[in-house]
Amino acid sequence: MPLEGLKGRKALVTGAASGIGAAIVDRLRREAVEVIATDIHPGYAMTVADLTDADDVEKLSAKVGTPDFLVNVAGGPVAPSREQTQPALPRGSLKLEEVDETQWSRVIAANLTTAFLVCREFAPRMKARKFGRIVNFASIAARRGSDRVGVHYAAAKGGIIGLTKTLALELGPHGITVNAIAPGFIRTPRIAAAGWGNATDAFIQALPLKRAGKPDDIAGVVAMLCSEAGGYVSGATIDVNGGWYFAP
Amino acid sequence: MKVAIVTGAAKPDSIGHEVALRLLKEGMRVVVADLYEEGFAALKQCFCVRCDVSDPSSVEEMIGKAVKHFGRLDVLVNCVGGSWGITRRDLIAAPPLGFRGLTNCSLEEWSTIVAANLDSVFYVCRAAAPHLKKQGGAIVNVASIAARKGIPPGSEGSSGPYAVAKAGVMGLTRQLALELGEFGVRVNCVAPGVIASGRLKRVLQITKQDHGPEGSLKAIPMGRVGTVEECAALIVALCTDDTSYMTGVTVDVNGASYAA
Repeated sequence: MPLEGLKGRKALVTGAASGIGAAIVDRLRREAVEVIATDIHPGYAMTVADLTDADDVEKLSAKVGTPDFLVNVAGGPVAPSREQTQPALPRGSLKLEEVDETQWSRVIAANLTTAFLVCREFAPRMKARKFGRIVNFASIAARRGSDRVGVHYAAAKGGIIGLTKTLALELGPHGITVNAIAPGFIRTPRIAAAGWGNATDAFIQALPLKRAGKPDDIAGVVAMLCSEAGGYVSGATIDVNGGWYFAP
Repeated sequence: MKVAIVTGAAKPDSIGHEVALRLLKEGMRVVVADLYEEGFAALKQCFCVRCDVSDPSSVEEMIGKAVKHFGRLDVLVNCVGGSWGITRRDLIAAPPLGFRGLTNCSLEEWSTIVAANLDSVFYVCRAAAPHLKKQGGAIVNVASIAARKGIPPGSEGSSGPYAVAKAGVMGLTRQLALELGEFGVRVNCVAPGVIASGRLKRVLQITKQDHGPEGSLKAIPMGRVGTVEECAALIVALCTDDTSYMTGVTVDVNGASYAA
């Protein structure tokens, strides 16, 4: 059975060029959702935008109109730039004293400011329609902390959870749900390229589900939250981590 | 063809009933386990078994009948519960008047309510596990916002023991997720807020019309109670491959009333 409530809707997916974002675009399109895909990294049918830049967000909004679903995937442990749109992920762990102020600000901007700017741009239009579904991306780094990705990324993703809860309260009266997904270890092509996939066989075997996650595992939960099944779920952070960590 | 058991699915205005109908639409064969036999006639597409889930021998018998009838078991949804017990009378009656917390409930109330809401889930999961482990599958338990917030003194229509038992269901979900993960069995939980089920109607019989058991309905940020359909759709999604990498998770479905 297809999920109820998706067909014919319009979605904006940010961070859509690869990995989890690309899988979400594919999944929503399979459900007959009209998807506008955006990323700082150019690609086929991709609307290129730097969502840390409010001017770019405004330009994007002129093109998108009013989405029914807003899926804020853009982000990552290394901030991209217009010059380097898909930076390599670090191969080792990042320690506190290795994070300088520039990295701190750029990673907070890439992961948290982007979601803030995009929500601020599109929420008023959703309010006018009395309908909307916003799905933000937190991370297991915000739930259990991280021994790899760096304090800036974990803090930004923790910020996403606070933003999500606050917007759920503020936008709930307008028929808009706001939730976050906190993925665990998802073996995307970029993560595999950084060697994280190979280094962690023992870790994978210690997971209750005994496998790494796939981008499609996350796309299914996004589809669920946008569908009828997500109609009364709001303010939630949903852990999708194969049982790695049980948050509250 | 996949086989699902849904407990507490016989009453037509319940979340479990809607879950059973939706699992049928997903192409599953569905077993309904319930004490409310009056509802069986309307569920001819399901295999209905009388079962008292707070009685381990009744549960063993029900699981045995289900597996004998359909030959396998893939999905278990534990919907049975109730904030004032699940005796024959409780199935259709309004809840007792007055606030029942932990400091003023009787020991009998404690035992009955914990048996109905927590022991029951343990019994059914334990009896179903050997069959689920054979080919993998999914369990979905139903907790409550009561486990998150507690029941404020003065509230009617729910109880302190219920809040405690439902918190136990969340812990049980996590423990089973660890034990059953390697067999490809995912175990998750939903924690509904105020849902427009028959239970809510019976609670509202004794409270002011805008008061649910956990407080004013007007305080719900989404400005409405949830529907049985929304809640059932979520439970069904937790039974399918859409949630293939989720286990041990409690999903709150409460209209932004409480963000865990």
